[in-house]
Amino acid sequence: MSEGLRPVTVLIAAMGGEGGGVLMDWIVRAARSLNLPVQATSVPGVAQRTGATTYYVELLETPRQADDAPEPVMDLYPGVGDIDLMISSELVETARAIERGFVSPTRTTLIASTHRVYSILEKMSMGDARYDGDRIIAAAGKMAKRRIMFDMERAAGRVGCPMNSIILGAIAGSGLLPIAPEVFEEGIRTGGKAVEANLAGFAAGLAYARGEAMEDPPAKDSRPKPPTLNGAALALRARVENEFPAQTHTILLEAAGRVLDYQDPRYAALYLDRLADFLSVDKARADSDYELTREVGRHLALRMTYEDIIRVAQLKTRRSRFERVRREVEAEPGQLVKITEFLKPGVEEYASVLPPFVARRIISWAGKKKSRAAKLQIGMHVRTDTVFGFANLRLVAGLRRVRRRGYRFQQEQKLIEDWLALVREAAAADYALALETTECARLLKGYGDTHARGAENFARIAEAVIRPAIAGHVRDAAKAVRRARDSALADPEGKDLAEVLSEVGAGAAADVSPS
Amino acid sequence: MTAQTTQKPRKTGAQRQAGGERSFAKEVKLLRLGEGDIFEGEGILAVTKAALQAGVSYVGGYQGSPVSHLVDVLSEAKDILDEYGVHLEICANEAGAAAMLGASVNYPIRGLVTWKSIVGTNVAADALSSLASTGVKGGAMVVIGEDYGEGASIIQERSHAYALKSQIWLLDPRPNLTSITNMVEKGFELSEATNTPVMLELRILACHVQGRFVCKDNATPKYSRNNPIKIPEFNVERIALPPFTYQQERDKVTRRLPAAIQFVKDNKLNEMFPGDMEEVGIIVQGGLYNTLIRSLGRLGLADLNGNSRLPLYVLNVTHPLIDDEIVEFCAGKSHVLMVEEGTPEYIEQAIHVALRKADVNTKVSGKDVLPAAGQYTNDVMLTGVAEFIRKAEPRGADLSAVSRALADTAALKQQAADLLGGTVPGRPPTFCTGCPERPVFTAIKLLERELGPTHISADIGCHTFAALPPFGLGNTVLGYGAGLASSTGIAPNFEKRTISIMGDGGFWHGGLTSGVASAAFNQADSVLIVMKNGYTSATGWQYLPSSPKDGDMSDTRMSIEKTIKALGITWQKKVHTYDLGKMVKTLREAMTTSRAGLKVIIAEAECQLAKQRRVKADRTKKLAAGKRAVRPRFGIDEDVCTGDHSCIRLSGCPSLTIKPNPDPLRTDPVAHIKEDCVGCGLCGEIAHAAALCPSFYQADIVYNPNLLERALSRARRAVIGRFYSREAVRLAEPVAGVLEAEESRAAA
Repeated sequence: MSEGLRPVTVLIAAMGGEGGGVLMDWIVRAARSLNLPVQATSVPGVAQRTGATTYYVELLETPRQADDAPEPVMDLYPGVGDIDLMISSELVETARAIERGFVSPTRTTLIASTHRVYSILEKMSMGDARYDGDRIIAAAGKMAKRRIMFDMERAAGRVGCPMNSIILGAIAGSGLLPIAPEVFEEGIRTGGKAVEANLAGFAAGLAYARGEAMEDPPAKDSRPKPPTLNGAALALRARVENEFPAQTHTILLEAAGRVLDYQDPRYAALYLDRLADFLSVDKARADSDYELTREVGRHLALRMTYEDIIRVAQLKTRRSRFERVRREVEAEPGQLVKITEFLKPGVEEYASVLPPFVARRIISWAGKKKSRAAKLQIGMHVRTDTVFGFANLRLVAGLRRVRRRGYRFQQEQKLIEDWLALVREAAAADYALALETTECARLLKGYGDTHARGAENFARIAEAVIRPAIAGHVRDAAKAVRRARDSALADPEGKDLAEVLSEVGAGAAADVSPS
Repeated sequence: MTAQTTQKPRKTGAQRQAGGERSFAKEVKLLRLGEGDIFEGEGILAVTKAALQAGVSYVGGYQGSPVSHLVDVLSEAKDILDEYGVHLEICANEAGAAAMLGASVNYPIRGLVTWKSIVGTNVAADALSSLASTGVKGGAMVVIGEDYGEGASIIQERSHAYALKSQIWLLDPRPNLTSITNMVEKGFELSEATNTPVMLELRILACHVQGRFVCKDNATPKYSRNNPIKIPEFNVERIALPPFTYQQERDKVTRRLPAAIQFVKDNKLNEMFPGDMEEVGIIVQGGLYNTLIRSLGRLGLADLNGNSRLPLYVLNVTHPLIDDEIVEFCAGKSHVLMVEEGTPEYIEQAIHVALRKADVNTKVSGKDVLPAAGQYTNDVMLTGVAEFIRKAEPRGADLSAVSRALADTAALKQQAADLLGGTVPGRPPTFCTGCPERPVFTAIKLLERELGPTHISADIGCHTFAALPPFGLGNTVLGYGAGLASSTGIAPNFEKRTISIMGDGGFWHGGLTSGVASAAFNQADSVLIVMKNGYTSATGWQYLPSSPKDGDMSDTRMSIEKTIKALGITWQKKVHTYDLGKMVKTLREAMTTSRAGLKVIIAEAECQLAKQRRVKADRTKKLAAGKRAVRPRFGIDEDVCTGDHSCIRLSGCPSLTIKPNPDPLRTDPVAHIKEDCVGCGLCGEIAHAAALCPSFYQADIVYNPNLLERALSRARRAVIGRFYSREAVRLAEPVAGVLEAEESRAAA
């Protein structure tokens, strides 16, 4: 007995709330309307709450001869290597389907969206824990007999329809099921829900699967048109282009402009001055591609444009910002949108714009009692669509002129100089170590407690790893720094970092002790 | 309670039940189909139809996956049930549902109840034992949703043990609607013929299977609300009291068991399918038959119509087993495979005994080739059956083809693993977008920073997800409504005050007595958080005694607050869950107050799924009528966000996600709020309570604003428009490739 007649098998991998069930119903209904034997089932379970969920359909290609003909025996479970049509509404779910063996080079047509819905494990990382999507796309290319993959979420957004109708169109377009597109369309109509939108989505998916639609044009920079450059800006640009090699221009132009925007031409000039030493290091290297200059340039700009209340107010009171908000919340042109900002600056943040001698006193007074600082930290709801709320923030943004005299500015400059000195020393010892030391600036981000924790982690790594490394006491120095940095980003409690530091510390101690 | 007993006409439990997460309004029409009509639909609906065809007088149950839909369907089918005088009871828990079958002890009326198993059967066990001991006159059937294997939400055990120890007949039909509905009908007959309750076991996928069967007419029950029983039957022998319990025990084994065996044989409830490889055979639980056929098919040993080269004996009844049939099937065979899911392998053991007694020397395989734990999916079955074939070596079997099939699947998975190079990140379930329970766990996390962590006795419900990332809260889960009860041992032995969690579902299911009343009685000194969201949400939001009317949480039929107060608990505070600051404060007070006794915090806010359904419909209506409506949602300023993701670690909202950093100078992704944000407000509350970062904003999009509003807005924009901050300086040409999806959408 050969395998003989087999059903067409369809597996749908979706996430709770995505309409996978509706998609399954559309297929089942279409098959029933043609009197094709069909069976379908689903595993929602607790996965209905945003977890991964699957639907499985089997159907025969030939209609049943009589109404009372015995039904074929169809399975409730998908089998490894046994899926004709694999449908996945998201890229990592596609990877999961591939991992579980449901995509076979000899059998499977893969219809999948290339967009990402990040899992909580990817989202909650302090750094970047995103799964490599390109790897999945490459694997899909090798594992599927045929594939129809595109960003269905974007397509759905463009058409203004649910994504499952795009998928249904792609299924029809694949021609794999013995069901003509008109039959699916009829099913959508008799379903009676959001008929127009679903039909439009169906048509878009169909066109795509038949190769009648093209991928989206490459993305363009959509940021607002910058204002015309004035004298200072032009001079700054000229200086970058004259003094620095071409490999660094993309980053340094962006960065120098950022510093200029943040403060003033003098501050931007300081930025470029600070890079001089690293440029010399790079220049002294044979075949240099100026990586250190680029990387220090990148992080230095971010450090010099640290987020204080002045900067936040500046960023939040630009025309382009209000336009972006309207875009993000999908407001119609001219529609009324009220905007509330959630601000809760602490004592330190207020004090940071005050002159150092005042600021230090306030901070130490507030620091004496825990409750004092907490009481002074008042949550504010600022309505920036009102004149009063906007004016408030706009005035804070205007404090830019006095920022230089503020406590935080002076403190930050000192910390920046310390960091640069550390990178310089590292560069004298080991180029790779210098790069890793530079990258440690990534730890300094966020606001309030988050920022304090990052600064503390940076200081710990500098003392326990970087300095001993510069002194030559740490084997594989660059790697050790990278490991320490990754561990600092692994958990907010710093458990990982403590472990790594003690390990490195022990190693360094062993290294210097007489053998 | 009927509608007339309260001042305002209110819906009964059953009526209020209708309107869950999924509507079955269309599907219930199928329940009216008559003789010869073709039913095409979901398994659970087919069971309901079969119950009507069998002439049930009463139905009931407690919701839970995978039989929540059955409860929903019954609720929506109220009209049809009323026509036949069938009573529907939405039971307080499974114990209530099992006790409901007591109607069939004295009277010749049929009843069907349903619940999720194993957990539901555990809760029902007391009543089930009594029911099984005294026996029934009318047919009594429990449809158990066997929540086992992939997609299951509970501990993994077999319900089979209950059937054995209480002597309840266990039906496990082939998973097609014809077999399932036939077994409902035969099950009632079996129950009546043997005075024994029956359980119909439906696995997850069978509950949800979309299939077809040929209908019969619905039957009008002899006794029902339309024709009530007039004379009570008193028969002391049907009471679970000694000495009658001894008599009942004897009756079970001397009369009811043989009668059941005879009935199963006479009605050919188990099926034998011949095959040409007669020296081997497979015995299979009915529910696994389809998967077995597909596995045989993939090995070239069966076809799509179920013709198998190996003879099959399909157990549509797995208790009692029919020794004669087993012996008849096995006689003359060298090897037989028993396909039985889960452990212990009761059937396999019983087969060994039957064959030993009959002195048949067939070798019995089972757990030697199939796994002892876990569901028998297509590939597990394929591997097991292939192993068996290799072991038994039946004449005419192409062993190399069998090995090839196995090798192919293994190679495919290996190839996939190599290409992907690492485990694909999991996607654990979590709280929905805007869920009102999330802020409570955010509050606990924030308080942990101050007071340090304490022991948390968690409960069953959506809130159990708090144990998963990002919160990682909840040290034990002992059962539905058992949160507080499970703290009574640890609380006095733990340095800090312990926290217990209980949902409103769990409260009414049993937590009220086993938890709160007991805590009051024992003068417990701990903290209880009652998640009051208005529904049993995890099962698809069915109504509760304290469900709100039209979303008004203060307007409930029964009050949890008053109930707790009546038990003598004096420290009780109600906090709106989205008020994070107040929640932290209240929790701090509960943890640190010197007051003895139980401290109860009612964390109140309506289930967001229920709320959104209403709010969206309301907004659509307003928009259509040209009336003013507001859509709130949150956003993040991407240039203010530094990509630390603290906000995500304190929330985990699906709508709060990440996106590539649009800033060419930064690499870590920035936080981002998706367009499905419902504007619950937690993001803003977290930004405040945790003093996080200033990148969050709330946007209230106003539709059809009134004249004054429009004028004011115009004036504001005119003023603000003159004072915007200077746009960013950009020295370089725009960099390509940093465009987000939504921006291109806007451009299009």
